[in-house]
Amino acid sequence: MIKKILVANRGEIAVRIIRACREMGIETVAVYSEADKEALHAKLADEAVCIGPAASAESYLSMDRIISATIVSGADAIHPGFGFLSENSKFAALCEQCSITFIGPSAKVIERLGNKQEARNTMEAAGVPVIPGSREPAYTVHAGEKTASEIGYPVIIKAALGGGGKGMRTVYSPEDFEAGFHTAQKEAQTAFGDNTMYIEHFVQCPRHIEFQILADNFGNVIHLGERDCSIQRNHQKMIEESPSPALSEKLRKKMGEAAVKAAKAANYTNAGTIEFLLEKDENFYFMEMNTRIQVEHPVTEWVTGVDLIKAQIRIASGERLSYKQKDIQINGHSIECRINAENPEKAFRPSPGTVKDMHLPGGKGIRIDSAIYSGCTIPPYYDSMIAKLSVWAKNRGEAIRKMRSALGEVIIEGIDTNVDYQYSILNHPDYVAGDVDVEFIERIGVLGQRCDQ
Amino acid sequence: MKLDNMFKKTKVSSGEKGYISRGRTGPAVPEGLLRKCNKCGSAIIAEDVRRDFYICPKCGGYFRVHAYRRIEMLADEGTFEEWDKEFQGGNPLAYKGYEEKLVGLKEKTGLTEAVVTGKMRINGSEAAVGVCDGRFLMASRGEAVGEKITRTVERAAKEGLPVILFACSGGARMQEGIISLMQMAKTAAALKRHSEAGLLYISVLTDPTTGGVTASFAMLGDIILAEPGALIGFAGPRVIEQTIRQKLPKGFQRSEFLLEHGFIDGIITRPEMKETLSRILKLHEKNTVCSAWEKGSIGNVSSTADLLSGGIDAWERVQISRRADRPVGSDYIEALFTDFTECCGDRLFADDRAVVGGIARFHGIPVTVIAQAKGRDTKENIMRNFGMPSPEGYRKALRLMRQAEKFGRPVICFVDTPGAFCGLEAEERGQGEAIAKNLYEMSELRVPILSMIIGEGGSGGALALAVSDEVWMLENSIYSILSPEGFASILWKDSKKAKEAARVMKLTAGHLQEMGIVEKVFSEPQSYTRETMKPVMISLEREIGNFLGKYGTMTQDELIEHRYMRFRKM
Repeated sequence: MIKKILVANRGEIAVRIIRACREMGIETVAVYSEADKEALHAKLADEAVCIGPAASAESYLSMDRIISATIVSGADAIHPGFGFLSENSKFAALCEQCSITFIGPSAKVIERLGNKQEARNTMEAAGVPVIPGSREPAYTVHAGEKTASEIGYPVIIKAALGGGGKGMRTVYSPEDFEAGFHTAQKEAQTAFGDNTMYIEHFVQCPRHIEFQILADNFGNVIHLGERDCSIQRNHQKMIEESPSPALSEKLRKKMGEAAVKAAKAANYTNAGTIEFLLEKDENFYFMEMNTRIQVEHPVTEWVTGVDLIKAQIRIASGERLSYKQKDIQINGHSIECRINAENPEKAFRPSPGTVKDMHLPGGKGIRIDSAIYSGCTIPPYYDSMIAKLSVWAKNRGEAIRKMRSALGEVIIEGIDTNVDYQYSILNHPDYVAGDVDVEFIERIGVLGQRCDQ
Repeated sequence: MKLDNMFKKTKVSSGEKGYISRGRTGPAVPEGLLRKCNKCGSAIIAEDVRRDFYICPKCGGYFRVHAYRRIEMLADEGTFEEWDKEFQGGNPLAYKGYEEKLVGLKEKTGLTEAVVTGKMRINGSEAAVGVCDGRFLMASRGEAVGEKITRTVERAAKEGLPVILFACSGGARMQEGIISLMQMAKTAAALKRHSEAGLLYISVLTDPTTGGVTASFAMLGDIILAEPGALIGFAGPRVIEQTIRQKLPKGFQRSEFLLEHGFIDGIITRPEMKETLSRILKLHEKNTVCSAWEKGSIGNVSSTADLLSGGIDAWERVQISRRADRPVGSDYIEALFTDFTECCGDRLFADDRAVVGGIARFHGIPVTVIAQAKGRDTKENIMRNFGMPSPEGYRKALRLMRQAEKFGRPVICFVDTPGAFCGLEAEERGQGEAIAKNLYEMSELRVPILSMIIGEGGSGGALALAVSDEVWMLENSIYSILSPEGFASILWKDSKKAKEAARVMKLTAGHLQEMGIVEKVFSEPQSYTRETMKPVMISLEREIGNFLGKYGTMTQDELIEHRYMRFRKM
């Protein structure tokens, strides 16, 4: 069993990991940058080591310094949290070389899944659905049309060297294919001097559905249900929930099985997440696998009762999974809102500063994961997420009402936050109806209309 | 709220703090995984350093590289063939303990001496090579080092190979006394013979190159390159500080200092080294130069009549020739040549940025290009002294021309200067002498020389790059004994009469062609800028081709006689 863990992260996730360790009787070492001298994670841990100046590259991303801090403090494992070095295969390899337990999958697995093409190929070979597309480039309308009809409409025509939306056309029916192909190819020729085109199935207004996986070193793999993370802005998730209102029991089973298959195909160990895109017609496609704990893990913890951080540590210690798939029951409904130090009215501009005063909600079924305290400073150098508010209730309707009530109680003075913006989403009729997709925020923010109308 | 020591510590469940069970090795950094940068002090991952050409990923500082690693970084795989591997020097002073010391070093480093020599291919080009290794008595130069380098150079001369030496040395091998000193003369003499055979020697200076190595083979390259930040000097910095009792300025005796002071051609980073060496080697490979060039019809070349009646006033042309948006020397180099490799420095005092020179290819043919360089903007203009060369600029030009002669490369000059720089320092260092020397030497340079006046052709400062087989002008360039302003002030005591002066001076291309001062004049578009220079480049390109075809096939005697007569009749 691991005795002492160095937490190679900051903010709420570092605090979350330290708490789990304390509950397990494991000593903790925090690392902090000069800007985080007064940060909660540094104060809460049993020991804290300063590893460099504010810039992440010289502190939280500095592999040699983190390794040195581990050796010096006598820790036997590193928990990387999320972001920073959590999905850095080189760092995981370094830990392995130094006989430090990296709490996560092996360096090899991280590397393989980090390579998009390789991950796609692995999944395709394992029979996990991937977005259908042509493997061979198309140069002529005729060749392109043939591929498109095989894939099924709508399709997206993409330039091989494409970027910035140039040389890209979405075509919804065979009649429009020729025109679309010509325009895209012509654009590609002018912009990149190359007319190589690829045809891919166009995933229309999908939902972001991800499955939480746990896998031990003995080949046992289970999933802990899904999280629906469709409420996102610029690919940044804002609200996550579990279970997804869009999944029938049948579809959940099907997708869950695909997720387990995917994890097995990757020889995955520890906690991980398989991300899918889900279309309205219930077709789903593998997007990528995240090889770390996720920000939104609390919603899964709420509905399954499993402490994912503790599970990670146990797996890394070489223990067998204590659950079987049949032990995992999804109970009730959970929603999480990310509270960021930013100003939604000023284009979500980050709002670092000092928290003058604060009040956070509590009570039954309400959980706060945060590293802020009254008088603390939010430095401008790192991510703007300062708290995660998650709730649990018997059903979705009650969970939404609970979240509204909880958001209404959040008071953070001294900095701007997105609390009011989150509150307005919780009251949006489409959200309440569970009728959302990944373009929801863009629509309500910009057009105020829906994409299928 | 202060949180110091507010929270309870973790209760360790097992009761044994930090206990690590037996049989399992605790976390430890394995030997060799981390290294410490001796420049910035950071711990760095050895693997990163190895992969990254032994450069510190944190501070960019250069680690010293072992000889065989250096060869590995440069040679095409499997092409290195070592010469004289077992050669060892003696103990001429019978210095006590020296032999034991050498034996110890051999065991420790796996080297037999402080230099590794042999031959290899770099991107296919063959070269003899010598690489010093600082681990062996700081690569001090004793008999073995001198002898191995000498043998390498001699063998290269015999086999017709270029030589590349990577210098790195603390200086003389004290234990070998006067014999060590003699290695300086020996290596220099061997290099002289190698050079007389028309062969190329590239010297690459690495950290540190000091003492007698600097004062012999290291500084004798046709081309001298250096790694960034390398210490290069004759006397070591400590010795100098003790002698003059002053603290030396930062950057003194570093590569950058030497570049500024004209002693090296360029600073090349390690990742670029192989490509640079390969390009230079290829530029010096024997090829069939300037034989058959198709003689195209003469497009865009204007007749004198056109230009005289062109309706543009002489003064207007003067102003056009000085326009800030007119293409400058560097633009011509970029447009007309490929593989341009800049060579800096006069090897005497400084690198004059008002003259840009180097080796390039014109349609595959290696040529030496020299351009008086104005800047493209104010900042660059200040750096380039507004295109007014100092004596160093002319001396650099002459150095490059002599090198062109050695390797049989035609010389192509672009003239664009208000005049040679007038200043105290320029006079101190012999501006007049520098110009005179160029006229003198260019008259008998045994390779074709072509000069093009692309903007201002200001007097002697222009002529020092225009003692050529042919001189061409662009339509709105000028070439004169003095600026119109100067002319007016000398003859009429009124510089404001520059406009009238311009009219009487006959300084336009049309007049000069009529007078036989220039051979060809190229017309310009209405507004001649970098954006509109293409048509002019097309005709220049064709005509340069014709020029090389014509003069490249002349014998050296014919060439020199032709050039002599060109000026003799004026």
